[in-house]
Amino acid sequence: MGESERPGITRRSAVVGAGAAAVVLGLGGFRFLPTEPTLRPPGGQATDQVVSACIRCEKCYEICPREVIVPSHIEAGILNMRTPTLDFSGDYCDWCGEANNGDPLCDKVCPTLALRLPEGASAKNTIIGVAELYTTWCLAYKLIGCRFCYDACPYEAMELDGNNRPYVLNDRCNGCGACESVCVSLQSGSIAEGADERAIIVRPLRQDGSVLYRWKPS
Amino acid sequence: MRIASLRVLVALAVIALITIGFVTNIGIGTLSSFGWSDISILCPLGALTTMLGAKILVPRALIALVIVVILIVLVGRAFCSWVCPVPLLQKLRAVFRKDSKLTTPDEESTVGTGDTDTTATCRSAASLKTQSTAPPRVAGKAEKASLCHSNGDASNCSSCAQKRGTLDPRHFVLGGSLLSAALFGFPVFCLICPIGLSFAAILLVVRLFSEGDLTWSIVIVLLLLTVEVLIFRKWCSQICPLSAFMSLLAKVNRTFRPAINKATCLETAKGIDCGLCAKACPEDIDPRHPKRSYAPMSECTKCLECAKACPTKALRLPFLPGSRANGAGSDDSGGLGGSGGPNTSEQERAA
Repeated sequence: MGESERPGITRRSAVVGAGAAAVVLGLGGFRFLPTEPTLRPPGGQATDQVVSACIRCEKCYEICPREVIVPSHIEAGILNMRTPTLDFSGDYCDWCGEANNGDPLCDKVCPTLALRLPEGASAKNTIIGVAELYTTWCLAYKLIGCRFCYDACPYEAMELDGNNRPYVLNDRCNGCGACESVCVSLQSGSIAEGADERAIIVRPLRQDGSVLYRWKPS
Repeated sequence: MRIASLRVLVALAVIALITIGFVTNIGIGTLSSFGWSDISILCPLGALTTMLGAKILVPRALIALVIVVILIVLVGRAFCSWVCPVPLLQKLRAVFRKDSKLTTPDEESTVGTGDTDTTATCRSAASLKTQSTAPPRVAGKAEKASLCHSNGDASNCSSCAQKRGTLDPRHFVLGGSLLSAALFGFPVFCLICPIGLSFAAILLVVRLFSEGDLTWSIVIVLLLLTVEVLIFRKWCSQICPLSAFMSLLAKVNRTFRPAINKATCLETAKGIDCGLCAKACPEDIDPRHPKRSYAPMSECTKCLECAKACPTKALRLPFLPGSRANGAGSDDSGGLGGSGGPNTSEQERAA
């Protein structure tokens, strides 16, 4: 085939190639940039695992029947960009209880085991995050009597105080997002000044398992 | 239908299908993992780097890898010309070109199909030639000779013995990607892969309009794509590690290779220095003379431009070498024919 007469590699190719390879190796350095903890779909709780194995194929966003899986953005860090995260503004994660009998479809379709549930993992014992209720923005704390989040919680992780104001039981909350998805604090007239998100938001966990609260000191 | 339009249509259909996947819940995935629900073909580089990065063996990735290897052995780099969205995006380069004076459909089609724009003039000579056979053949030949040689198109000129090396920058990028994934523990090339970024761009735009999801990611993704696709003109042939992976495996590809029927080929049958198939090739392969070819046959993307360019339809890409009834030799016989061919052409040139 005449392959023998072919030059192995020209000098120019070698130089360009070495440069390009160095760039790809250099990109690996993004690993050492600080990466914000972010909410992950069931099975993605080990952050390292998602970043290491996710090939950004976008399959989990597509398959999610409640459309709560969305791509992370550059704002969450370069390594997180285009990896899956959760957005509970429209719906919550029921572990595909309705769509697939409680077997999360995102884990089923993930081709690279970036989302991988450990043995015996269930909706109850997998902590996606923990809900944080910010009383300054919460309608109930203005004694309006709103209790949508309390009613929505499927894990009985919320209670009402003497004034019918809901609060979160941290040790029972697994971060499914049901409370966040029904919170009306932003929709029904922005009562609280400066409110840029709902009054109850699921916060991600850090690597050490502590919650990354926005308001509460942790 | 013109073969270039057909390729564009196929690539557009793939993009359309994937976009439908984005707005439904079928789970078609993108080209990174294309399929239905939990059955999907993985990008071979993605599959390799994810396993190197996460340091685990992923059964599904291994199976996908085997399937992809089989596909590459069967069809070589056909993905590059028929499915990949990047050559499609590269066509946009024509929009940004200052001298858009020559915008006959023929010229447009040659932009972006490969990295050689020098073939444009030769191609128009080819189209002249294909219209009828007898008298324009001479004119076409003369035209071709003058135009292409003045273009300094070294790839098809046997006296300029420059050849594409067996290794080129792509292979360094491939090696760098694998090493980088292993060292830093994540699929590094996925961050900048223009195929992945193309579909990320579509998804982000869909989400921008459907969910009001406004993010800097859109700017970053589009910027990276622009740099890679519009500024790095030779991305596909010089940088893309997937192209490197495919061309390495395509060395054993024997199916759908250009085969020439010596009875009808102008060069062997009538001793005419035709060379239109070589001129048509966007990868700078010379199907008539594989031995003298600038690029090895493993670079063939099965784009069918050579078959289309052949004025006597002597060139085909049969499933198996020599399986077609037209007495076609394999590319090997093309090579042997080439040993007769150059003599005749050199005689002519001397004359």
